[in-house]
Amino acid sequence: MRILISGFGTVGQGFAEVLMRRRDFFVGRYGKEVSIVCVMDSSTFAKDRAGIPPDDLLERKRTTGKVGTETYADSVEVMDSVDYDLLVEVSPTDIKTGGAGLKNIRHALESGKDVVTVNKGPLALNFCELVTLAKKNGCKFRFEGSVGGAMPIINLCRECLVGENVSSIRGILNGTCNFILSKMDNGQPFEQALKEAQQMGYAETDPTNDVEGYDSACKAVILANSIFGRNVAFSDVSITGITSISGEAISLAASQNMVIRLIGEVSEDRLEVSPRLIPKGHPLSINGTLNVAQIVTDLAGPITVSGRGAGRTETASAILSDLVSVMDDRKERGDRCRNP
Amino acid sequence: MMINAQLYVKDLPGHLVESLEPISLVNGNIVGVVHDREQIVNQRICIDVTFEVRGNPELDQLKDIWKSKDVLIANMGSVYKTYTMEYMLVGDFTASFVETLIDKASKAISLESVDVNYSSRNAKSARTAMISAELMSESDLKKFDAFLMEACKESKIVYIRGL
Repeated sequence: MRILISGFGTVGQGFAEVLMRRRDFFVGRYGKEVSIVCVMDSSTFAKDRAGIPPDDLLERKRTTGKVGTETYADSVEVMDSVDYDLLVEVSPTDIKTGGAGLKNIRHALESGKDVVTVNKGPLALNFCELVTLAKKNGCKFRFEGSVGGAMPIINLCRECLVGENVSSIRGILNGTCNFILSKMDNGQPFEQALKEAQQMGYAETDPTNDVEGYDSACKAVILANSIFGRNVAFSDVSITGITSISGEAISLAASQNMVIRLIGEVSEDRLEVSPRLIPKGHPLSINGTLNVAQIVTDLAGPITVSGRGAGRTETASAILSDLVSVMDDRKERGDRCRNP
Repeated sequence: MMINAQLYVKDLPGHLVESLEPISLVNGNIVGVVHDREQIVNQRICIDVTFEVRGNPELDQLKDIWKSKDVLIANMGSVYKTYTMEYMLVGDFTASFVETLIDKASKAISLESVDVNYSSRNAKSARTAMISAELMSESDLKKFDAFLMEACKESKIVYIRGL
């Protein structure tokens, strides 16, 4: 399996580390290693058809701040210059235009390459187009890590719960907001809780996407399209963020034995992100940076999953599971061709 | 139909069971029983029982059986399921705004009960109100949801609802 990694920030580097840690696993399962034949960051790239050792890439990024020595202006030209089987798209999310991620995913699918991504922008803006493109070109297109990080939800619903009628999914889809609201439960004002989230690296310098609910809205769109088969985009989500939640509101909720949490809700007729009153002790009343989702099904009833919604290794674990799934599928097809 | 009945039976061994057996005889389902030995009137004790029966014919049949067994029916009424939801409003508004809002809603929707709690207002922060509403049906709940959401949107008040 020859991989092209687009984006070498926190998640990209985390994935390279995970590939090193799972080298024996790949050799044992498929009889060969996964080889990284090209990596692009925002301005440079490195490529080698024989494969680049992940530790070399990590070392270069650490010492120079860049992944390669050659620069590029057009990522598509770099992609076209490399023979690869699968694109791992982990460039920064751009929820206004889809950014480089959209361009790269589109080009890879048009070229018949499989794609694994955690980039929410292209999925929230052009989900149906990309899925159609993948189908048309016979490509695998997987994006488990785009919602809930390490918490399994998309593949859980599409694979483990296949055959169930999922009537709704409600959950905490943004760990930063949950961290802030949990801190406010203990009496901290919003601004202070946000500052602490920034100091701990949970929130960006510009926290708009998190606290205004845009990040959760992207994830709600991905769930609506991938699990409910809807055809919706970011602009269809009814969004209310947490910036207007006052300490008083938190206290009043607490006096009724409740907490306030930012909840994304998706069903056949609902698509919204808003602060909700949750009874203490309810599975959705969790504290800290965890993500949680409650999937309501007709046969199995409610199923609750929880896990780390972000993080270098955590998100890389979701990419790993998608990669393994694609490789299993290729192996199965290969076996069928050899033994029809 | 769900029924709640207050019965008085003789304070003798076996009479409690004898008063409840007829419910099964009419294919009813007992949901809850409270046996109150402190309320003894004319040597009879009070039994508060909630049960389900299919309809009025079965209920009439049950009443006849109770009569024949000397079970006195002190009170009987139907019990209906209600739907409760909590809402929180955050913004610049007065208590009379919330009262007017609920008045308006109650003209179009069957509200069983509404309870409002307010935070104390200070110069710095917006006011917060917590509304606990009990409604007669799921469709009323949806209507109330939509009504509050629209009204809050118009008045630029943040609206937070329960699950």
